[in-house]
Amino acid sequence: MNLKHIILALSCSLSSYAALAAPTVDEIIHKTNYTSYYKGQDGKAKVKMTITDAQNRIRSREFVILRKDVPTTDDLTNHAYQGDQKMYVYFTRPADVNKMVFMVLKHIQSDDDRWLYLPALDLVKRIAASDQRTSFVGSDFLYEDVSGRSLAADKHVLISEDANYYVVENTPIDADSVEFSKYVMYIHKTTFLPIQTEYFDKQGAKYKVYTALNVENIQGHQTITKSEAKNLQTGGSTILEYTSVAYDTGFPDEIFSERFLRKAPRKYLR
Amino acid sequence: MSKHTNDTETVNPIILFSINHPKFITRLMTVITLTLITIAALPNFFPEQLPFLNTLQVDTDPENMLSADEDARVYNAKMKKEFSLSDIVVVGITNDFNNNGVFNPKTLNNIHQLTQFALGLHWADEKTGKQAGVIGIDLLSPSTVDNIEQGGLGSVNFSWLMPSAPKTQEEALKVRERAKKIPFLDGTLISDDGQALAIYIPITDKHLSYEIREKLLARIAEFGEIEEDYYITGLPVAEDTFGVEMFKQMAISAPIAMLVIFLMLWWFFKRLIFVTSPMILAMVCALSTMAILIITGNTIHIMSSMIPIFIMPIAILDAVHILSDFFDKYNKIQDKRKTIIHVMNELFTPMLITTLTTIAGFASLALTPIPPVQTFGIFIAIGVFLAWLWSITFIPAFIVSIPDEKLAGFITADTGTKSDHKTLMGRLLEKAGNFTYNHALIVVLISMSTIGIAAYGISKINVNDNPIKWFNADHPIRVADRVLNEHFGGTYMAYLALEVDTENATNIDFKPAMLERLAMAENNAIELQLTHAKNIFTQVQSKIQNHIGSEQLLATNLLEFLDKGFETSADNEFDTWDQVQLFIDSESQRKEIFKQPDALLYLADLQKFINNLEVVGKSNSLSDVIKTVHRELLLGKAEEFRIPDSSNAVAQTLITYQNSHRPHDLWHFVTPDYRKTSLWVQLTSGDNQDMSVVEQEVANYISSHPMPHNLKAKWFGLTHINVVWQEKMVTGMFESFTGSFIVVLIMMILLFRSFFWGLLSMIPLTLTVGLIYGFIGLIGKDYDMPVAVLSSLSIGLAVDYAIHFLSRAREYTAHHGSWEKAIGPLFSEPAMAISRNAIVVGVGFLPLLAAPLVPYQTVGFFIASILFLAGITSLLLLPAIISLMPNLFFRNLKNN
Repeated sequence: MNLKHIILALSCSLSSYAALAAPTVDEIIHKTNYTSYYKGQDGKAKVKMTITDAQNRIRSREFVILRKDVPTTDDLTNHAYQGDQKMYVYFTRPADVNKMVFMVLKHIQSDDDRWLYLPALDLVKRIAASDQRTSFVGSDFLYEDVSGRSLAADKHVLISEDANYYVVENTPIDADSVEFSKYVMYIHKTTFLPIQTEYFDKQGAKYKVYTALNVENIQGHQTITKSEAKNLQTGGSTILEYTSVAYDTGFPDEIFSERFLRKAPRKYLR
Repeated sequence: MSKHTNDTETVNPIILFSINHPKFITRLMTVITLTLITIAALPNFFPEQLPFLNTLQVDTDPENMLSADEDARVYNAKMKKEFSLSDIVVVGITNDFNNNGVFNPKTLNNIHQLTQFALGLHWADEKTGKQAGVIGIDLLSPSTVDNIEQGGLGSVNFSWLMPSAPKTQEEALKVRERAKKIPFLDGTLISDDGQALAIYIPITDKHLSYEIREKLLARIAEFGEIEEDYYITGLPVAEDTFGVEMFKQMAISAPIAMLVIFLMLWWFFKRLIFVTSPMILAMVCALSTMAILIITGNTIHIMSSMIPIFIMPIAILDAVHILSDFFDKYNKIQDKRKTIIHVMNELFTPMLITTLTTIAGFASLALTPIPPVQTFGIFIAIGVFLAWLWSITFIPAFIVSIPDEKLAGFITADTGTKSDHKTLMGRLLEKAGNFTYNHALIVVLISMSTIGIAAYGISKINVNDNPIKWFNADHPIRVADRVLNEHFGGTYMAYLALEVDTENATNIDFKPAMLERLAMAENNAIELQLTHAKNIFTQVQSKIQNHIGSEQLLATNLLEFLDKGFETSADNEFDTWDQVQLFIDSESQRKEIFKQPDALLYLADLQKFINNLEVVGKSNSLSDVIKTVHRELLLGKAEEFRIPDSSNAVAQTLITYQNSHRPHDLWHFVTPDYRKTSLWVQLTSGDNQDMSVVEQEVANYISSHPMPHNLKAKWFGLTHINVVWQEKMVTGMFESFTGSFIVVLIMMILLFRSFFWGLLSMIPLTLTVGLIYGFIGLIGKDYDMPVAVLSSLSIGLAVDYAIHFLSRAREYTAHHGSWEKAIGPLFSEPAMAISRNAIVVGVGFLPLLAAPLVPYQTVGFFIASILFLAGITSLLLLPAIISLMPNLFFRNLKNN
């Protein structure tokens, strides 16, 4: 390494912490995991979901999503940020699913607990954890996309990078448990947001593409406020638009309980 | 050849030209024919160099029995798109060696592997870049469908029915047990007896089915020693296979028919040189017509593929008349030029008339509403015209080109045949002639009684068609079809679409009910202690009360009002306005008819009724989906297999269903706006008459059980389309036959310049058609499409013999002075010509009986029958009728 390179490396380290040293793939995926699912101690957003099918027929759903982390730190060192999470998804529209609730207690060490509350049937159902790769309320997003796929489920390889992105290829460790053969993430170098994720089927054909369409800085967190899942097999797509995003609102733990499925904590959902 | 000036007779200038320039005529015919064939053939080999020329197109799509803009087809295409329904290749699997059928680890493992293989059968289309081949997301197989069940401890479970091949017998049986519990899968994926499985492979284009089938078969072959049987069928496969078979038929049946006719002619005329000319003529006409068909961009369809087979007998008919006549006259005249002129003079008018009547018969098919039948009729008419043109030019030219020495040998061989040493047929004909004269009454009475029997037969005719039955009973497609329909709920799909009848909207005042619901929403808001609830909801109330105009307009006005409310209201009123929005949203959702319990209950009841119909194996509907999910949500209790009580409960049941691996399955049953639903009916029979019964029964049910929400029901799917074109065919063919019958009758009256002679000439035709259809009714053969077009063929062929016979009868009676004296000569040469003709051409078509495609067998059998019957009635009944009433028919003669 000659002097020129050393100077260049030093200047980079001054301008950007991220580029201090080329991060390992482990660092990249954890940062991405953090920016995607763990920012702040809790988070809240109103979400408008627009599902468009191949014939441009549109259905929409609206819900409020509340998320609270069990770990009380955002520290990435030793993966301290990572831990169990609680999620409360309260549907408001269409009118006939108003008050429907989907709740997740996400566990790192074991299967997640999931509940569904159907107000019109006055029914609280647990959803079996056996398969998380089913559709989320008929959209092109899966339950696993909402709650986050465990990093331990895949093998991660940094296959390339350019000026803006790390390209990470992820292959499932238990290939039989999933319908994809691999997925490739394009992770933005400075924000570590996954700007695009492409899924490939077992025959090697790309069949699903997730894209971040809009990013905003909210309370210092770079946040995806519009994202799209495009299903290349059906020709359909789903767009999620996030409004009223807020971090660290400080809602109590107790709302993530069966009791609050039937009686929604209205005050936190506004 | 030198010009002859010593002709004893004048002759039509075209014929004169032909016998003066035989080489030119032969060359002209060769050049025209070869040119047509070249133009038709070349673009198939060099499509890029010759983009302006049409290539050969095979069309085996039964849908094309209706024109593309036909209502039933347009609606079918629209609904198929709206419900994302694709053409499907069905793979049925049975295992007769295992007590549990296919539900053993080994067989299920093979099925799992075949599924994975099928999922990979897609590729980017070279032209469009879009994916072509198997549509993986809609593939139905144990490996790709969801098992919905309550998973104990109050949880509901969505998991793949068979995520991987089971390793133990218990696991294999578990797959069966689960699938049997899901109504959508029971009888569709898994057989009613729980022994067999079917995989449904949707494809992007039905023309890929043959290719996909071949690939699947190759993969199955790789399994090696297996216990189970695989049956691949489904309509696209049947169609594609039919196309392949059709080509084989064109390549085999038509030439065999040619060969048999050739041998028969040789047997009758003994001289190869005579026989070759009709064969050349038949080839020229058949090839030219098919070439013109291709050049003009028409498709080779089941109907048009039979054009050569229809043209050949007609083409040969005239040539045989000429040859037969020449053969007899040459012995007397002993000069080939004089003989041919004499023969052509004698035959020119009857040949012209028979050609015109044949053309009239077939051209009338252009008036039917079925495009392939129109093409068929028009091109046969073209072929018949060509046959006439070359018969009056090429045949005389050919005969005069035969060296005199050859003809001389011919005379020596035959001069020994004196009138008293006649052949068996000659003697038979002579006796027949005498019999008709002496026992005319008996002949007429026998004929009349056969008409009676025929009339009875016709009354028993069963109108029915089924494209699958176009294959022979032992054809693999028919076998697969039979096996699958034995095990499953039926492979013939019909769909009943229910949607709001917008043209027939009811005028009920919607306001009172709406205000009632508003009051409930208001109470709700007050209960929730929302700010200014009373005030804001009262505003909404007056907005509704004061509204004048449609419900639609009110919805728009309310949304405007709402927007303003959100904009101008104080922050603390936000929740109240949100509650108003919820009300408006739920009002608009009332238009989602198929979330309303009453609509779904109606659908369920209708389905129950349909399931009880005899040919219906099973049916699938939105209400099944809702009932199944509802049951599994409520601990799998059998009594919860029902439609929930409120539209919200339905919506929430449906959204639960969409939390599965295959949420898009829902859209095969209902459109995303929940305004249209499709009820799938699986029939175990593809017979049109069975589908007609189902349609009639359903129509009756609907009229006695009025549908809620101003709904209307309309069928679609290929099984329904078949019924539509069949109805059109029956009425269309009747009209076309009646039309051409009248046209031919008028032509006959003009030809004979006599009403009675005209009427008389129609008798063999009428009797033939009557007997043919009477026979069909008596033996119980279905009146299907090939049978329907036989009536036109009858007009084309049956009247010919009558024309030839009657014109000679008049000539001979005039010549010999009386009808009695004319009988003898009439039953020598002219009767001989007609008999030879009927036998040669009739027998020529019997090889078609060996064809593996039923329409060809039908046509073969009935062409032969038509020819024999027309020959017999012309030779027996016509003279008998004349003998009974000679004065009626020979008034002019007497006066002269």
